Amino acid sequence: MAGLDDIIHQPLRLRIMAALNALPPGTGLEFARLKKLTGATDGNLGAHIETLSKAGYVAVDKAFVGKKPQTTVTATAAGRGAFARHVAMLQEIIAAQPPE
Amino acid sequence: MIDSRQASEALADIREIAHRVRQSRIYNLASLLMIMWGALVFIANAASFGWPRHAGYIWIAINVVGLAGSFVVSAFTHSRTGVRTFDLRTLMAFLLFFAFGLATCMLAHFGPRELGVFWAIYFMLFYTIAGLWVGFAFVVIGVGISALTLIGYFLAGNWFEPWMAIVNGGGLVLGGLWMRRE
Repeated sequence: MAGLDDIIHQPLRLRIMAALNALPPGTGLEFARLKKLTGATDGNLGAHIETLSKAGYVAVDKAFVGKKPQTTVTATAAGRGAFARHVAMLQEIIAAQPPE
Repeated sequence: MIDSRQASEALADIREIAHRVRQSRIYNLASLLMIMWGALVFIANAASFGWPRHAGYIWIAINVVGLAGSFVVSAFTHSRTGVRTFDLRTLMAFLLFFAFGLATCMLAHFGPRELGVFWAIYFMLFYTIAGLWVGFAFVVIGVGISALTLIGYFLAGNWFEPWMAIVNGGGLVLGGLWMRRE
């Protein structure tokens, strides 16, 4: 049995991946919306997105909409796979030892 | 390694976030349609007030424009997000919903003022029921506009159409903008 994914398991990174995985493949979330959905601060969110990006789990796209910079974060195929395995692992833990 | 309680909490967190994302997407897409229909309802009510003899034609034209506009908004959101909001099935649902309302109006022999109230409340009933599944904002908008419509019916006198333009049309536009903030 494979272990939990240490990169995804951190609570905020789990929320980020859960949010991105709720979207159709190839669709991303703007930084501001992701911040609101996860309840994170700017700095905290940026740092955890960086970690996920380095692991190849998310792609970060920076563009200008008019004069405003806009950062969009999208789960990669590798990220979706890792998240699915992480969720399956969580379910296995519950099945093996149901909560009291 | 974590225990099953922590695993359950993590899964609950995932479900909660996924629910919020889905709701946010529904609000984002529905708000565009709501703002468009709100503007059209505002125009239709204002025009009916100015040209009461042509109110029937005005509303038919507005509904045709609204349906066409819904397809355009759907195509726009589809190109951006890959999600289609207004397909053939939605059109069929709209036509069935509309046909039932039309049959009710014919059987009940409503006057012009009652027609204005009926269609507003009928559509808001749909919003309210949909809101029970997809999000609280729909319920607030549906119940709020229905209540204001009834107030106008009893208290607005000869200014019923302008009242409805503001309350129904303006209400939908404001509701749509509120949803976008949510």
